[in-house]
Amino acid sequence: MLMFSYLMATGITTGAFYGLVALGIVIVYKATEVVNLAHGELFMVGGMLAYTCYVIEGLPYVPSLLLAVAGAFVVGIITERVAYRSVLKHGLASVLVATIGVSFILKGIARYVWGGKGDYLSFPPLVSPEPLQFGNIMIMAQQLVVLVAALVVMAGLALFFKRTRAGKWMQATASNPKAALLCGLRIDRIYMYTFAVGAAVAGAAGVLMAPLTLLYPDVGFVLFIKGLAAAVLGGITSVPGAVVGGLLLGVIEQLAAGYVHSSVQDVVPFLVIMFALTFLPTGLFGVRGLRKI
Amino acid sequence: MKQLASTMGVALAFACMATAGAQAADVPGVTDTEIKVGTFGPLTGPVYIYGKLTMNGVEVYFNKLNEKGGIHGRKLVLVREDDLCKPEGAIAAVKKLIYEDKVFAIIGGGCSNSTLAARPEIEKAGVPFHVFAAVADGIVDPPAANIYTTQLTATIESHAQIQWALDRGAKKLAIVSQHDAWGRSRYEPMLQDLKRRGLQVVADEEVTVDQNDGTAQALRLKSSGADAVMLLGYPKAAAVLIRDSIKIGYKPIWIGQTAIQDLPALQGLIGIDGSLANFVSITTIPGHPDNPQYAEWRKLLKNTFPNDELSVFNLMGIAAAEVFGKVVDAAGKELTREKFLAAYNTIDNFKSSIYPGPITCKGQHKCNQSPAFVKLDNNNVVFAGTVVLK
Repeated sequence: MLMFSYLMATGITTGAFYGLVALGIVIVYKATEVVNLAHGELFMVGGMLAYTCYVIEGLPYVPSLLLAVAGAFVVGIITERVAYRSVLKHGLASVLVATIGVSFILKGIARYVWGGKGDYLSFPPLVSPEPLQFGNIMIMAQQLVVLVAALVVMAGLALFFKRTRAGKWMQATASNPKAALLCGLRIDRIYMYTFAVGAAVAGAAGVLMAPLTLLYPDVGFVLFIKGLAAAVLGGITSVPGAVVGGLLLGVIEQLAAGYVHSSVQDVVPFLVIMFALTFLPTGLFGVRGLRKI
Repeated sequence: MKQLASTMGVALAFACMATAGAQAADVPGVTDTEIKVGTFGPLTGPVYIYGKLTMNGVEVYFNKLNEKGGIHGRKLVLVREDDLCKPEGAIAAVKKLIYEDKVFAIIGGGCSNSTLAARPEIEKAGVPFHVFAAVADGIVDPPAANIYTTQLTATIESHAQIQWALDRGAKKLAIVSQHDAWGRSRYEPMLQDLKRRGLQVVADEEVTVDQNDGTAQALRLKSSGADAVMLLGYPKAAAVLIRDSIKIGYKPIWIGQTAIQDLPALQGLIGIDGSLANFVSITTIPGHPDNPQYAEWRKLLKNTFPNDELSVFNLMGIAAAEVFGKVVDAAGKELTREKFLAAYNTIDNFKSSIYPGPITCKGQHKCNQSPAFVKLDNNNVVFAGTVVLK
């Protein structure tokens, strides 16, 4: 029973990571129907920028977090300009290839700027690194921070899409770009902000998770795969679905590794993607319609 | 008569110079003023540290030699090739170094799998090859006449990990390993050695390089009752596993290997003070790069690579380059590949300024056979002991 409790608690806290990554993927997909394959690197950029501000320059945590998110926001704008707007006329396949290109460029820049300081960079946790006791199990405090942050970001985004004009414009553009254009919306600008908001969420996730994932130029890829699995399971267009998908993925992964064998842990996301695409094509919370991944 | 003697003297001098020039021209990569040395390993990609940083260390040592006039008047010039830590990349890299750049010798090999793949080409070409970081035994075993390593090999390290556990009275052994090519090069010799000793592990768990959580592995280890865990993983996997083991209150003897020998860095990754109280690791470098004994290298590294902080990988490159330079020196002024390879036999109980044990290439191609262990004591890296392999 103790083992089950630990696996569930860890699954939920780890799943919150995946949900947070999935949120950024969903935001971009919801508006543009494009999976940004450089999303993991935007996560990395956020973490690295925060490392520069907080660890190297010694700025306080909150300004470091805000600067990192702002930096990721700008990189998101550049990604949209380079990998979306300029190649969209050649089709979505070209956009996907272009986002892969951006991913490699960002990793290369990171190796140049932050390489040469050892293999992994450790980021001090926001809270005590000592585990906290809940009943008869222990949980890392930083994991709880990520869990709470994921829920806050999810709630914030849900409000953004439901209550703000910008959020509604994004949804309108995603639903029918031509109609949105006829209504006078500047859809180019909406796409740009969509990429930027997705990148900002990735940047925030990068800063929050850095104490647990550590920082290195390639940190984003595995988390991107897991975030994508969570997003697909949740329905790829659903903000709550991303978080629920992340939590489910985290729990399944932990239970499989604990009760089957540790070697299956990394296979789980791929099985989840295959399962979701085969048996739940709209995911848990997605809407029926054409899907382009 | 005086004029005749003078003319003959000048003619003799010209003849000598022509002979020396011809000798240098016959040897690939060697001129009267320089020796071109190739290197390959990952300069980019996820594990670029094993190539780029180690090469930076080699270059720092070469620069030091060159500032003193080089070896026998020849400066060492390093030519780098990126193998991306991939077999096909390493084969292409060594072909370019050997046939296009025409290097005299190669000091390199950052990744085991790719270096293994490059071995046939290197062996066929006969170019001297000094391994600086890769640990797979197959690179030097069976021996090739032109290949030597000063890195501990995977088999020596795996046997030493088991020996350390048994010497400390451990009864229930467990393995946690990455199952990639690097991990398997250690995991399989470890299983063979356990079998030879008639031992079985109580848990055999897997981690990945990018592991973000190790709770499941820690729980399985704890439930197996393992009192010593041999860790065959990279720093991130090790850090995550130890962190999550502390979380569940599991504290076995942890026995690491050279990939996780930078203990202060590992503790920094774990983020919990005292987390390495039960941890030892095999080391190539018997002290932390921040220790005063490496002050000179820190300074020289900064001069050449201002963005680098001295790391274990830099020191591995410096250590290998020190032995390489010693061999070049022993080969003499009339340098040929044959003389260079023969000079490895003069390296006998060489006290390197960095490797913890003596280096002996005389009669063997695995020149480093001294697995030493380090531990963390009050945040200082200290010598923990050694083992006699049985």
